[in-house]
Amino acid sequence: MSHAHGVRIAHLFPELLNLYGDSGNMLVLRRRLAWRGLGCGITEVHMGDRPSLVDFDMVFIGGGTDREQRIVCERLLDQRAELESFIEDGGVLAAVCGGYQLLGHSYEMGGEKVEGLSLVDLETTRATPRLIGNVAVRSRISPQPIVGYENHGGRTHLGPGVEPLGEVVSGFGNDGKSGFEGCLYKNVVGTYVHGPLLPKNPGVADHLLLRALERRYGTAELEPLDDSEELAANQVMLDRMLAHATPRM
Amino acid sequence: MSVRSALATGAGRLAHWGLSSVLHRNASQLPGRLALAIDPQLMGELARKARRASVVVCGTNGKTTTNNVIAAALEGAGNVVLCNRVGANMAPGVVSALLPGREADFAVMEADELSTVHILPQLRPDYLVLLNLFRDQLDRAGEIDRVQDTIVRALLGSSGTTLVVNGDDPLCVSVAMRAAAGGTRVLSFGIGEDLGLRQDRVPEARFCQVCGAELEYLYRSYAQLGAFRCPNGDFARPTLDFVATGVEVGREGVSFDVSGPGVAPGSRVSAGFGGTYMVYNLLAAFAATSLLGVDVADFQRTLDGYHPENGRLQRFEVGGREVVLNLAKNPAGLNQNLSLLEQDEREKALFVLVNDNANDGTDVSWIWDVDFERMVEGGRAPLVFAGGTRANDVQVRMKYAGIDAQVCESVSEVVGRLSGVPTDRPLYVLANYSALFPAKEELERQGGRR
Repeated sequence: MSHAHGVRIAHLFPELLNLYGDSGNMLVLRRRLAWRGLGCGITEVHMGDRPSLVDFDMVFIGGGTDREQRIVCERLLDQRAELESFIEDGGVLAAVCGGYQLLGHSYEMGGEKVEGLSLVDLETTRATPRLIGNVAVRSRISPQPIVGYENHGGRTHLGPGVEPLGEVVSGFGNDGKSGFEGCLYKNVVGTYVHGPLLPKNPGVADHLLLRALERRYGTAELEPLDDSEELAANQVMLDRMLAHATPRM
Repeated sequence: MSVRSALATGAGRLAHWGLSSVLHRNASQLPGRLALAIDPQLMGELARKARRASVVVCGTNGKTTTNNVIAAALEGAGNVVLCNRVGANMAPGVVSALLPGREADFAVMEADELSTVHILPQLRPDYLVLLNLFRDQLDRAGEIDRVQDTIVRALLGSSGTTLVVNGDDPLCVSVAMRAAAGGTRVLSFGIGEDLGLRQDRVPEARFCQVCGAELEYLYRSYAQLGAFRCPNGDFARPTLDFVATGVEVGREGVSFDVSGPGVAPGSRVSAGFGGTYMVYNLLAAFAATSLLGVDVADFQRTLDGYHPENGRLQRFEVGGREVVLNLAKNPAGLNQNLSLLEQDEREKALFVLVNDNANDGTDVSWIWDVDFERMVEGGRAPLVFAGGTRANDVQVRMKYAGIDAQVCESVSEVVGRLSGVPTDRPLYVLANYSALFPAKEELERQGGRR
């Protein structure tokens, strides 16, 4: 699809990292481009494939089981340098849950410290209980709070220079303590919010698309869409969380 | 029976009487919970009441239907059966169902997958029927690996239990291999031919459970179920003991030939309900009852008289319109329901209800793994309504599938909005767990059983 005006996305290992409806995120990106007359090429990268990231504007990494996450991590360590140049050059990377943990220096699995990709200055330890439930996050990349669901045993700690994706309004976020959720680094967005991430958070979807278009074409604009259904679904969950949540901060 | 067991049994029965006869409340859980609090070992004691045999049914989808068909077929053959019919499938529900009466011929119990480890070592059933494993309730049940480990442990804790396993499901076969290595006897069932049906997405189990290579299929019936094998020879569908062939699946129901140990040649089974998934449920029920001595004629008579009244493919008539209610609580189940809709050639309406209460799973991400896009590809998408506590999420899901869905509070509201739509167009109501019973009650109030 590289001929059409649009965004070229590499969806990494969807057969392994697909635990939380991640195909929904791809569908949302595709439709939101199509509704604006823009093209969207999604390349599913499978084990054994070795695509050049030069051909992509955006990379998406979803969440999987521990076993699958480890397989993916080992495979991506081979391509670490290329991923690093992609990110440092402003490539857009969205990573959810397990994919988010992989971005850091290390994460823990079964009491063992596993080397991560060291693409962003963060690391993940593990603790009980798992942090499970609905989550809402106020973030500068989205006009509405980001709402979704989190389910992770990891506690992610950001390095001093790394900006969080946002402040937790309800739920746990990175570690259940800091009040922060996710990370923002250059055009990288890492988050524990699945649910999946993009359908009820059109602001996040458009942020990613806009950054990808800007990187490819220099400047870009996105026509506004009628997001009333998406925003209604967002508001319903936000209202519910605000009504039930124990206040934080 | 020990004094403690006798006391526990008495207390449980009293609670049952109080709840059902005095308060007119559901007595499927509390009596068992009370009795277990007095005597935690009571299930093992009560299990002896089943003089001839006991069976446990588990699997992600189809437990209640399969369990009830097994119980009905055994009763049809003249036996007294203890059964947790309404689907209270954890230890208290099983104990509640074992409390009534002095003796019985059979105990037939469905078990929640994670509860098998508490139920099997106590009940020590003759057979465990394992129907299928799909991704379901990640927030509560965790990943499928954990469910598999639990069932293996349950079997290893109950020597003497034969596993009757869906041989077409790689995830179940993996459980069977591990249990067999620990000494469990295994029999398998499956479909012995290519049904030539359109395939849905396979969200799980695309890989060999031993070496991780992508599985190859001679054919698939739905989801990950089919004639699979690992290209490296580590893992494959076993030789099937109970086999369905000559399978016909349509709007009117299903029928198929069955063969198996001790089954008369030329045996055929038919039912006026269900799609491909029902072939597996009925084949599993047939295998279990055949092993317990029910012949095919008795089994067929049971199916002829079987009218689901628990919201599983239950049919109603509201204002002259056919309404079909079914449970759909995970991607595999909902995709199978969409296949049922495709097999109905009429124009139709669809009401999808998704609740996120604790017993549904509070994570509704799974709706994005359902192939709603299929409904549009056919050209004539149904009129769609979205309901449940997560109606708005369903509406957004539909929007991205290319379907304009309206949010509705209740079945009555949907029926009202259909007033201008010809009544020869059926309404399908697909609800997840906690949304099912309110929808059923509403339909029972509004319309007669069909």
